[in-house]
Amino acid sequence: MTSQRAYVGLGTNLGDRAENLAAAFAGLGGAGRVRRRSAIYRTRPWGRTDQPDFYNAVVEIETTMTPRELLDALQRVEQRLGRAPGERWGPRAIDLDILTYDDRIVDREDLQIPHPLIAKRAFVLVPLAELDIRFAAWRDALGASEIASVVPLDGDELARFECALRESGIDMQAEESSRAAHRVRALADFLKNSDAVRLRIERADEEIELSIRRAHSGGALGTAQRHAAEALPARVDTIRADIVGIFHFSRPAPAAGDVVDDDRDLGYIEALGIRTPVHSLGAGRLLAIAAADETPVEYGQALFVIARG
Amino acid sequence: MIANRGEIALRINRACQELGVLTVAIFSEADRDSLHVRQADEAFCVGPGPAGRSYLNIPNIISTALITGCDAIHPGYGFLAENARFAEICADHGLVFIGPEPRVIALMGDKANAKQVVREAGVATIPGTDVVPTVEDAYEAAASVGYPLLLKATAGGGGRGMRVVEEAAELGRAFAGATAEAEASFKDGRVYLEKLIRAPRHVEVQVLADGFGNVVHLGERDCSVQKPAHQKIIEETPAPNLATPIRDSLHETALRACRYVGYTNAGTLEFLVAGTDVYFMEMNTRIQVEHPVTEMVYNIDLVKEQIRIAAGESLGYEQRDLASRGHAIECRINAEDTGNQFAPAAGTVSKLVFPGGPGIRVDTHLYAGAVIPPYYDSMIAKVIAYGDTREIAISRMERALRETLVEGVKTTIGLSLEILAAPPFRDGHYDIEFLPRELAAR
Repeated sequence: MTSQRAYVGLGTNLGDRAENLAAAFAGLGGAGRVRRRSAIYRTRPWGRTDQPDFYNAVVEIETTMTPRELLDALQRVEQRLGRAPGERWGPRAIDLDILTYDDRIVDREDLQIPHPLIAKRAFVLVPLAELDIRFAAWRDALGASEIASVVPLDGDELARFECALRESGIDMQAEESSRAAHRVRALADFLKNSDAVRLRIERADEEIELSIRRAHSGGALGTAQRHAAEALPARVDTIRADIVGIFHFSRPAPAAGDVVDDDRDLGYIEALGIRTPVHSLGAGRLLAIAAADETPVEYGQALFVIARG
Repeated sequence: MIANRGEIALRINRACQELGVLTVAIFSEADRDSLHVRQADEAFCVGPGPAGRSYLNIPNIISTALITGCDAIHPGYGFLAENARFAEICADHGLVFIGPEPRVIALMGDKANAKQVVREAGVATIPGTDVVPTVEDAYEAAASVGYPLLLKATAGGGGRGMRVVEEAAELGRAFAGATAEAEASFKDGRVYLEKLIRAPRHVEVQVLADGFGNVVHLGERDCSVQKPAHQKIIEETPAPNLATPIRDSLHETALRACRYVGYTNAGTLEFLVAGTDVYFMEMNTRIQVEHPVTEMVYNIDLVKEQIRIAAGESLGYEQRDLASRGHAIECRINAEDTGNQFAPAAGTVSKLVFPGGPGIRVDTHLYAGAVIPPYYDSMIAKVIAYGDTREIAISRMERALRETLVEGVKTTIGLSLEILAAPPFRDGHYDIEFLPRELAAR
């Protein structure tokens, strides 16, 4: 069975957080191979202010499990480490979420992939963007103050975490690359907040170059800001079948990444000798094709995922 | 394909499995986790919760049958089971509709029409009218039928789209209510009037007919235990304390009516028996909810027979080969609040224990953890008890109901036990006013 890449978000604000995270990392090994991880960040808890800071991270995991099996495996790790089933956003020993699974869309009552709250959470996007540059624009669109509320763990706490991690035998390589990503981000922040347009750092073991395009004074919206705004979808729609029939792509076949400038036919469903078109219902960008060409579809089956805005 | 849901869909699936027939289930989004969906060989979602957009969604249902390569469609009861247009559409698409021909469904399924037809066959019917299109027509017709009267849906069954009208002042509202309910349940809001016969027994006859002219009856069922809305709660066979001449006459009449219209597949003729008077009421051109009691005393699988007949097989037996043995009773268990005028109780079944042991059969789609959706009728299970005598059947039913445990939703089990203990039921001398009287006395 082929393996898929999934990003898993980790969070804890209960007990010995550094230990919890390290234990969670070790536990994840049962679900697949942890290939890379982000730095550890601390954040104020989302939705409640009378609790300890959260420690968050994202890992890239390579797994042969199906999304559902992965969800079950993550829940087992949570239970083993003692997640209290009580409050929704209260203290937790460890909280594990599937953020993305390959390029798949899953839309069930008990499991939604990509995680529906990714776009809103700095404590998810900051570490996730570290590992996957595609999410950088989303992260930036959150705004400087949101991003600043997510602070890399350092000092004694970081040392304790790294120690616990070493004891569990987790690969150290990941840490290095995430450190690099972290450095790049820090430099990007510096660049953004300065008047410079280019920044270059050379060291014995690495070389980093960043450039930034600045808005012209007097422009209504800076180029960088506009790009960021375009990159963050204001809304993600799932186009679903509302009849039963055989689904066909339009020709030429739509593909993920296609930009649709207005209401456009993306395909049709053939039933009882009648072809009913499937519309994009407005402009947007195709995030995913959720059904295969020339296959039977049932009512409510997801066909396309479109990002609007 | 099984074009239905709940316990009857499961029932049909079971018959198909035993016959080696592959099944396709259709379901609404609210029934995604339903038992028959899991057990069918394939399953397709055909619409959202509301029945009008799912279980009555003919295009999606036909499309599913064609895509999956089905040969036949079993409509169950309710929904499209007595929809002649649907039966025609099936035929147009090369799908066998498991039931009588569209012509016969239209003839007998139209209740006002059916009375006319059996009158031609020499059968006595309840005084009444044809379809009354408007409330003004209803007032006019009511004058000749006389009060008290019954407003009934011509496309109806199961007590839906029915209203009792004691006097003229109630007719307007009753007309509106009956019409709306009929429209919602059967997509046909037409109603007709019938004289209300006081204190009758509701006795019905089960028939089976193949495509070769063979017609048999499988006895009669007494379904007089009905809630105020003419909805059956308890059914039994044979009908207790029914004079032999009347019993024979009911069977004879049923066969005569079937032969007259050229009936095929399974069906039930419903009669009202008042004293020595027997009136034909209506015919249901489908399998009925209470079919299990007949199956128990005749040892015949009616759903399998339906499928066999639709597949072109002959019955393979004659009336003289059939004999009923013993007594069977069915109690319907509804998710309803008996303390709140039978308000439907949706919810999740947290705990579930069904009875077992000698002579007990349970037909249900329920399982622990199942969610009861709010869109459909409230019946969640049928408990059937069989015994050599009526006394044994009753005592087994009482035992079974006491063993039954349903937690998470309110049910009518308690009420059924009270009915079983009431003297009129125990003595076998009850009519359709028995239960309303008992309930009103509380």
